[in-house]
Amino acid sequence: MRVIKQKPMTWGERLYIFEALRGLFTTLKHAARGLFRYEELPTISYPEGQPEVRNTYRAKHRLMLRPDGSPRCVACGMCAAACPAHCIFIEATASDDPRIEKKVKRFDIDHLTCVFCGLCAEACPVDALRMDTKKISFEHRSREEFVAHLEDLTNWDPKDYPDDEQSQVAPGGTKNAEARKVWGMEVK
Amino acid sequence: MSNYYNMPKLPTENSPKVEIFVDDKPVMVPGDTNLLEALKAVGIETPHVCYHPYLPVSGNCRQCLVEQEGPRGRMLVIACYTPVSPGMKIYTPASSARVKNARKATQEFMLVNHPLDCPICDKAGECTLQENYMEAGQNESRMRPEYGKNYHGNPEHQFIDAKGQLRGGKHVDLGPRVLLDEERCVQCDRCVRFMRSIAGSEQLQLAGRADHTYITTFPGEKLDHEYDLCVTDVCPVGAMTAKYFRFQKRVWLLSHTPTVSMDDSLGANIWLDYADGHIYRVMPRCNPVVNRSWLSNTSRLAFQEFDKNRLPSMEVHTPAFGNGKIAIVAGGTCTLEDLAAIRMLKEKLGDRAEIFGGSLLKVDAPDGIAKSGDPVANRAGMKLLGFADVADFMKRASEFETLVTVNADLFGEDPAAAGVLEKINCRVAITPFDDATAKKATIAMGVRHWSEVQGTMVNSLNMLQKLNACPVCPDENLWAAYQVVSYMAGSKFEAAADAFKKAGEYAPVLAGLTYDAIKSTGKLLEGGEA
Repeated sequence: MRVIKQKPMTWGERLYIFEALRGLFTTLKHAARGLFRYEELPTISYPEGQPEVRNTYRAKHRLMLRPDGSPRCVACGMCAAACPAHCIFIEATASDDPRIEKKVKRFDIDHLTCVFCGLCAEACPVDALRMDTKKISFEHRSREEFVAHLEDLTNWDPKDYPDDEQSQVAPGGTKNAEARKVWGMEVK
Repeated sequence: MSNYYNMPKLPTENSPKVEIFVDDKPVMVPGDTNLLEALKAVGIETPHVCYHPYLPVSGNCRQCLVEQEGPRGRMLVIACYTPVSPGMKIYTPASSARVKNARKATQEFMLVNHPLDCPICDKAGECTLQENYMEAGQNESRMRPEYGKNYHGNPEHQFIDAKGQLRGGKHVDLGPRVLLDEERCVQCDRCVRFMRSIAGSEQLQLAGRADHTYITTFPGEKLDHEYDLCVTDVCPVGAMTAKYFRFQKRVWLLSHTPTVSMDDSLGANIWLDYADGHIYRVMPRCNPVVNRSWLSNTSRLAFQEFDKNRLPSMEVHTPAFGNGKIAIVAGGTCTLEDLAAIRMLKEKLGDRAEIFGGSLLKVDAPDGIAKSGDPVANRAGMKLLGFADVADFMKRASEFETLVTVNADLFGEDPAAAGVLEKINCRVAITPFDDATAKKATIAMGVRHWSEVQGTMVNSLNMLQKLNACPVCPDENLWAAYQVVSYMAGSKFEAAADAFKKAGEYAPVLAGLTYDAIKSTGKLLEGGEA
């Protein structure tokens, strides 16, 4: 343990008025910088200015798509099992495609309960669930709207993920036509 | 029953104890059984795939290998087909690296061409292969991406999947209730043995040889039997799946209530598997004396109707019983508690009331598996509590002015014969369902279904069996039938235990018993098997 002895104030400091003016000057300095040299401010004026989000940031979820546009999710429930907040609700049904067994019928994530830990994306065995949308703000009118459904989660644009090959396989992506050829192999 | 394979002898309480040496330590085990069961009796689990205690031993999976000291040294033998003999020396993986390696190698071969379907497999969570992998396997995969898995199965069902890989048959339609996945099948032939030896109708066969073997039905035939859903239970992997439960729920999300199926007087022991207020499936609960581990499709699929067409809860009030004679008819699903309450109501009403039990459905012959054929589940309990048969009531129906039916759908069971009942002025129906009798009744009161109440029943083997309440009641305010009837009699039973105590007053054989005294497999009542 170290004892730091406070320095006694000088008489100038004890006069109070000079120190108060010095503090006011700092405040005024920053206020003036906001007015005249805005770009030098260390803060951003949210929501007009958006923060830079890295793609490893755990943001809102999305569900990856197969070349034919169906969600990749096989409704195994691993994400729901891994979820510490119990905010994922999944119902499964049999797939129409004879080559695929199981597909997802309902996939709801309650973003009011979600703790954005990323364990669901980690648990997914088919890389269907990702948290790389960079959407970090959630504003809705009612509690129900905070629950993201299957349609919300699959509604994303491959153009927003230009560097991600897996995203380009989805309809509208640059690799979709190629992937469709492989995908559309006839059933024997 | 076929004698082609041998049924395993299971240890009982009366088994003679013999001393054997397990890992050089002397232990006392049941002497009249196989090694696998003997080791299980002393707490040593042996992984196995093809062995099932109620199916003939086939010994084809080689997963239960142990080492036995013999005249030619220590040899690997399969525990499921080796009888216990006094003084035998057994080595388990606890002391023998050879056994450990052998089991691991067996496990590895079994998984070589097994698909990585666990995420979408309905068996995941209760799969024998998964359990064995954790216990005996845990080997790293030696599969190389360049040669991958080699799925066989029926060549007609092979297809190329979305990744361009040749796959074995998925969701092959075996019959009206069962689907087969040929990739997942490990050819343990449990289902074949079940259909051959237990169901007595050989509808499944192993076709092909070696790793081309697959399960199939005869050409043009389908798997269709009263017990065909049992093949999904005996299947150690997810090869046989029931259509009704396919993709409904992951099994680890289900909670289980042990209870008794009240649609047959054998009272098959069942698990009600439920989640978020719904029953998702009914599984047989092993009871060596009653239904072993089998369950008929009728009992298994009955749950689909449990929460449909229900009567809502309403204020219970005692009807004015008038001055004429009163008949109280208890249906087959009445528990002993309901019967005790009815008996109490009868005592209160005096001599003008008579009590009857049973149904108008006809009694079939027992099938020797898990059904006695009698639709009146608690017929033995009715006898104990002094209920006359409902046929007697039907003959004298014109004598009565009031009819109270408890869980008895007389109009639905036999509309023609029940026509005479319409002459009875006052008809009170106490029933869970809005059935034909409830529709024709003067007053209908909703009660809880047998799956939602605690209670007891006496089955056709004179065994007292316990029902437990599954928390799936659609209306929390519903009363159990014994509560409604006892309320009418003037003193409401708050708990099922009070009603059971009352039943003990009427039937001396039940006196002094409590719910805790009834084991999960039931209690044989004095007087032996009926």
